[in-house]
Amino acid sequence: MLRDRLVEALGSDAVKTAPEDLAVYAFDAYTDGGLPSAVVLPSSTRDVSAIVKIARDCGEPIVARGAGTGLCGGAVPLAGGIVISFARMNRVLDLDERNRRARVQPGLINLALSREVANLGLFYAPDPSSQLISTIGGNIATNAGGPHCLSYGTTINHVLGLEIVDAAGDVFETSIDVAGYDLTAAFVGSEGTLGIVTSAWVRLMALPESVRVWVAAFDDIDSASEAVSAIIAAGILPTALEMMDVVITRAVEAAFHAGYPTDAAAVLLIENAGFDEDVEASESAIHTIAVAHGARSWRSARTKGERDALWAGRKSAAGATGRIAPNYYTQDVCVPRSRLPQALRAVGEAAHENGITVGNVFHAGDGNLHPLLMYDKRDRKQVAAVIETGNQILQCAIDLGGTISGEHGIGWEKRDAMTRVYSTADLAVMARVRDVFDPMRMLNPEKIFPAGARCPEVAPP
Amino acid sequence: MNAVQHRAVPENVQAVATLLASCDRAREKVQVAGGGTLSGMGYPPERLDVTLSTAALTGIVANERADLVVAAQAGTPIRDIANLLAVQSQFVPFDAPHAQYATLGGTLAAGWLGPRRHHYGRLRDYLIGSTIVLADGTVARAGGMVVKNVAGYDMSRLYVGSFGTLGVLVQANLKTTPRPPHARLFLAPLPEETRDRACAQLSALRVTPAAAFWVHGFNAIDGDDGDEGRILALLEGSDALLERATLELRSALGRAGVPETHVIDAGAHEGFERIVDAYVGCVGQRSVTYRLYPPPDAAFSCALRLHELVHRFALRRETIVDVMNGDVVLRVSDLDAHAFGTKIEAFDDALHAAEPGAQIVAGDHPSRPYLRVWGAPPPGIERMRELKVRFDPNRTLNPGCFIGGI
Repeated sequence: MLRDRLVEALGSDAVKTAPEDLAVYAFDAYTDGGLPSAVVLPSSTRDVSAIVKIARDCGEPIVARGAGTGLCGGAVPLAGGIVISFARMNRVLDLDERNRRARVQPGLINLALSREVANLGLFYAPDPSSQLISTIGGNIATNAGGPHCLSYGTTINHVLGLEIVDAAGDVFETSIDVAGYDLTAAFVGSEGTLGIVTSAWVRLMALPESVRVWVAAFDDIDSASEAVSAIIAAGILPTALEMMDVVITRAVEAAFHAGYPTDAAAVLLIENAGFDEDVEASESAIHTIAVAHGARSWRSARTKGERDALWAGRKSAAGATGRIAPNYYTQDVCVPRSRLPQALRAVGEAAHENGITVGNVFHAGDGNLHPLLMYDKRDRKQVAAVIETGNQILQCAIDLGGTISGEHGIGWEKRDAMTRVYSTADLAVMARVRDVFDPMRMLNPEKIFPAGARCPEVAPP
Repeated sequence: MNAVQHRAVPENVQAVATLLASCDRAREKVQVAGGGTLSGMGYPPERLDVTLSTAALTGIVANERADLVVAAQAGTPIRDIANLLAVQSQFVPFDAPHAQYATLGGTLAAGWLGPRRHHYGRLRDYLIGSTIVLADGTVARAGGMVVKNVAGYDMSRLYVGSFGTLGVLVQANLKTTPRPPHARLFLAPLPEETRDRACAQLSALRVTPAAAFWVHGFNAIDGDDGDEGRILALLEGSDALLERATLELRSALGRAGVPETHVIDAGAHEGFERIVDAYVGCVGQRSVTYRLYPPPDAAFSCALRLHELVHRFALRRETIVDVMNGDVVLRVSDLDAHAFGTKIEAFDDALHAAEPGAQIVAGDHPSRPYLRVWGAPPPGIERMRELKVRFDPNRTLNPGCFIGGI
């Protein structure tokens, strides 16, 4: 019945229901979910609208999916339902060079946009480490960040308007340049629970005239994190300010030979981009602070090749940990930047206490930690230890005045932790927004809101 | 309107919650008032029982200097926050008119869009956390004091530009950014025949100004250049960068045929602020100021079309074109309020027939409530109405003030 109707609307080529096909869509980069009832690959907004209407008729929930690189189970179905894959809606629809904006389909790969506009001297700024494969639609759903958010801001700062299919299958548009409620802001980061983005106007930026990348090495993590806090406190916001500990640099060097020292306890990867005069001048200011906080070496990447290698190493760091353990779990928390030293100490203690190897590779300038906890998922004791460590890190971030997700999202993984940072009233107010757009909870159900939240959610206002 | 209106000045969040809950139960209508600097925006409330002033909700709640984060109560004047940050060599691009009176809450609620947003981003993108009180007295917090946070919906940004119709903002947490060490105001006359080329040159500059305007009328902001209008550009950054930006600007405008240029270093920001103030300045009760948001490459053609329209109605006009963002600010006026009143409604019709999105940002004329002050409702207006119902089912807050009768 469901399959017949979907095939009738989209053609058999766009509908997958064979078990071996469905299995591919049962997980994302966090964990396994459940098998969907069907996977559909729309080619147009009209297709998406038709799918939603059919799903509604059949009582099937919908999970929209980009590349499946999400780290919190946001794009996995939990029990049946229709997965909408945007793999075929992956084009740039409009390119407005003069006004520096582009309209893109949600399945367009993040890096593909920057590559497409590079010859115009432009780029798309949000750059999650997954940008080689993750899609702009998925980035919008999670309000994805990346190393360069430090100066350019997260995805929300770069979305100018959206075309959305709502839970009834109706299409409407939002724009940040019209009067009225900022629906664009409500949708970015809503993890597919309010509607399905079918196209987006995004902002393009001018490529900087000058880019410099430096690597500072430290003998202990404390000094490196104190250097980060000091750089920010001095009022210097480089374009990116990343930290990697020795666990990570060794894995990266073994895999990619990116150019990081492997005998330092921690390194900072610092990039400043902008105008020649400013970038030039910033080096000595940052260098001075780093040295004052114990940097034992300072290296400047001399060529674009060296810069690219350092960045490629950084963005592939998680994958490189495959050399250390068969599995890793990435925690994502954000703390006030001055609390970085305490947060990192707590991460180290939690991992040590639970006997887990931890590698730290993260957006230090934003206070956005990503401890990678290494384990073997065939060993139940290790799995339990990883869960406990992740939990302790989460609590530590909350205790330091931070949040339970800086950029990966809540999804299925952290929904129950929402009550640790928000009151019932805070969550009920969010639910009021959801009541408008998805009153029946057909769009990505069981995500973001804590299990059992249904009662306060629907409590009369 | 009721014969007796009550003015309440709650001093804390709890007092706001108690007041709103009681008004909501009694079906009394509440207008939220900040500094009154943007009172030319929006419709008057369809009924009014209580004016809730945020005048006693003032002060910095947290100043995390080393984190580049600051939190303040909604009634805090923008100038106070800016001064505090300036001492710390930080800033937030508020760009609010009359910053000594404008409040943090009012500026956010009005969704004020400043001229430096192309350079530093929108004010909403500096908002990392908020506390809001809903009409039923519910106190809800969103976000926090960290610069990256994707835990749940971005409620704080949703309140920006909601014109106080979803709830009363009582606290806002902002991230700040390092303050550019130097500023310079660059001025040049802009004769008609050079205008198109000059603006094309401006938008192609490598070192873009933090803000750039073509101003015609408004006494060309303190320097009367006759009927030609002037280019005013705010340059911000290091000394070295300003030098280069000045050279680039001079030669770009020179190529476009602009005869002379000069720069002001002392008082550059004050000059910039006078331009922003002009966005909402009124000529007695005989002016209305429209603001439009065409894309940058369409701004001048839009302004020229408006000028023809103004000419047809024999009104006086003054114009600011924000060259970088594309905004067009058009103040129409007449010699006396009566003459103005006979023309403005027909002009408003004609303007909106051509430019449906035109909004009114200033004007004290009695006809203002009968004009299309928000422009045409956007797509999605039905969802916006539903949001209003969910947040404020009894229409307690600013009823009828916002777009589409919200």
